[in-house]
Amino acid sequence: MTSHLAADVCVIGAGAGGAVAAAELAEGGARVVVLEQGPAHSAHDFTARPPEMLARLYRDAGQTTTLGMPPIGLPLGSGIGGTTLINSGTCFRTPPRVLDRWAAEFGLDLDEATLRPAFERVEQALSVSEVTPELAGGNADVARRGAERLGWSHGYLRRNARGCVGSGVCAYGCPTSAKQHVGITYVPRAEAAGAQVVTGADVRRIVMRGGRARGVEARTAAGESLTVEAPTIVVAAGTIYTPVLLSRNGLGGGSGELGRNLSLHPATAGFALMDETVDMARGVPQSFYVDEFADEGIMLEGIAGPPAHAAMALPLKGRRHAEAMAAYPRLAEFGVMVSDSSRGRVRAIRGRPLIRYDLDDADVARFRAGIGRLRELFDAAGAREVFLPLPHGVKPEEARRRDFKLMAFHPLGTARADARPAHGVVDGDLALHGAQGVYVADGSVVPSSLGVNPQMTIMALATRLAFHLLGRDVVAAGSSSGGPEVGQAA
Amino acid sequence: MTSLNEFAAAGPWPQRAVLGALVSLARRRRGRALLRYLPQVDQLMQALLATEHFDDPAVSRRLGWDPAAVIARGRDLRRLEGRL
Repeated sequence: MTSHLAADVCVIGAGAGGAVAAAELAEGGARVVVLEQGPAHSAHDFTARPPEMLARLYRDAGQTTTLGMPPIGLPLGSGIGGTTLINSGTCFRTPPRVLDRWAAEFGLDLDEATLRPAFERVEQALSVSEVTPELAGGNADVARRGAERLGWSHGYLRRNARGCVGSGVCAYGCPTSAKQHVGITYVPRAEAAGAQVVTGADVRRIVMRGGRARGVEARTAAGESLTVEAPTIVVAAGTIYTPVLLSRNGLGGGSGELGRNLSLHPATAGFALMDETVDMARGVPQSFYVDEFADEGIMLEGIAGPPAHAAMALPLKGRRHAEAMAAYPRLAEFGVMVSDSSRGRVRAIRGRPLIRYDLDDADVARFRAGIGRLRELFDAAGAREVFLPLPHGVKPEEARRRDFKLMAFHPLGTARADARPAHGVVDGDLALHGAQGVYVADGSVVPSSLGVNPQMTIMALATRLAFHLLGRDVVAAGSSSGGPEVGQAA
Repeated sequence: MTSLNEFAAAGPWPQRAVLGALVSLARRRRGRALLRYLPQVDQLMQALLATEHFDDPAVSRRLGWDPAAVIARGRDLRRLEGRL
C-alpha cells in the first residue's frame, strides 16, 4: 500500500535543524511534512537508568564508533528531538572568530549582526538562560574552586532549560521535561501550525526531475510506501546520515567534498576523589566551563552522572575501580573538549555510514595539554586523588594516540557550506550546489570546528534558512515588526 | 532481560553479535580469565559489567542515587506544571 502526501516543503529529520526549520516554515504559512526515521519519545517512559536509556533514546544504543586511531565513541540521538533530546543542553552562539574564518575561508556572509536575530529567536523559543550556582551542584563547585585558585577564566553555562531542578540525567532523558529540546518546543509548534510529522519514516529516495526537487519516497515503520510530493526538500538527517542520504541519491557530489571534512570535537573526562561530598548527579551535569585555553582549542566543561554513568567512564580497573566507586559520593568529574583540526570522512557501505577519523598531531598535543590542565584544575581544587583518562602510569605529556579514551558529541562538516560550488556541498543559503529545491539544515553544513557546543549554531542556521524560503528577513523574537507572512514559501 | 543485555541487543550489526558474545564470556569466570589476554577488550567488559552492577537501584541507592525517586519527582513536577 502507498500513501501520498503533498506539501510545499518536506523536511527530512526532526532534530536541531529539521524541527526548527519545520516550525518556522509552518508558522510562516507553508504546508510542511516532516519525515523522522526514529520514534517519538515521552518523558513518561524515561527511567533515569543509563543502560536502558542508551538502548532506547540513542541511535544504535549509543554504540556508533569511528574507525581510526584512536576509535572514538560518537553517541547520536534517535527520534523526535534528535540529539537535542539527549545532549547536555549547553547553548553557545557561534564565536565571532569562527564567523570571521567562515567569511575568509568559505565565502560565507554570516557575521554576528546577520545571525543575531536568529539567535535571539532560538534563545527565546528554548528559554535559554545561565545556570545558577545553586543549581550547578557540587561538581561545578569543585571546578569553580580550582579555576578561581588558578586565576583561569571560567563561568556558568547557558542552557535551554525551564524549571530545571538538577535531576542529573540530561543525557538519559530529562525526567521533568525541563530541558527544552526541540521535541517538546519546535515540533509541537510545527504541528500546531499544521505540519504533518511522520515518525518511523525511512527516506529511501529524493525524487528529482530536470535538476529540480519533486518529492521524497519513504518506507514507513509498518513497511508501507509513503510518497511526499514537494518542490522543496530540507535534508536534516544529521552530520553522519545526511551525506549517506545525499550520496545514495546522487546529490551533492559535484565538489568531491560530500562526506569529507568531518570534525567531531573529541572529548575525554577525568575524575577526582575529594574530601567533601560532591554528589555529582545532584545538579546540572554540564553547568560550568573553563575557557582559559579556548584560543588553544581546549575547553574544559562539566560532565557528571549517576553511579552507572561514573562506573562506565571511570578510567580504572579491578580493585581500584571498586574502591573509587565505593567513594562515589566524593567523586568529581570534568571534561576536556578539543576544537579539532583533524578531519574525518563518512562513506556509505550498504546504506550505513562508515566513519573514518584519525587524530592528527596537533590534536594529540591539545589532548596532552588539556588533560594536564585538568589535573591542575583538580589539584588546585584540593583533590585527594586524580584519575586521568590515560592508562596507568602514562603521563599526559607522554600520551600517544592509542592511550586516549575519547568520545565525541558534535559531528560537523560533511556537507559543508562554501559559496564556491567547487569547494562546498551547499552555498551560503544552504542550497545544494547543482540541484534546485534541495537544502540542508543540520550540523553537516557547519564548515569548521566551532570550539563550542553546536546546537545553537545549527538552530540559528535553520531559522535563517526557513525565513529565506519564506522570502523574509529573520525577525528577532519579541520584535514589533511581527513574523513572516503567510503563503510566501518557496 | 538485564539492562546490559538490552543495551547490547540494541546495537548495530555486527557489534550486536560481538558485544553479546563478549558479555556472555565476561559473565563467566573462565571467560574473564580469557579476556585478560585482550587488555582493551577486558577494560571495556569490566566497565560494562560495572555499569550494570551500579545501575541496580539497590546498589545505587546505597551511594545516594535513587532513580525511582528522581523519576517520581519528575512526574510530579510535569503534572504540576503541565509539561509534556
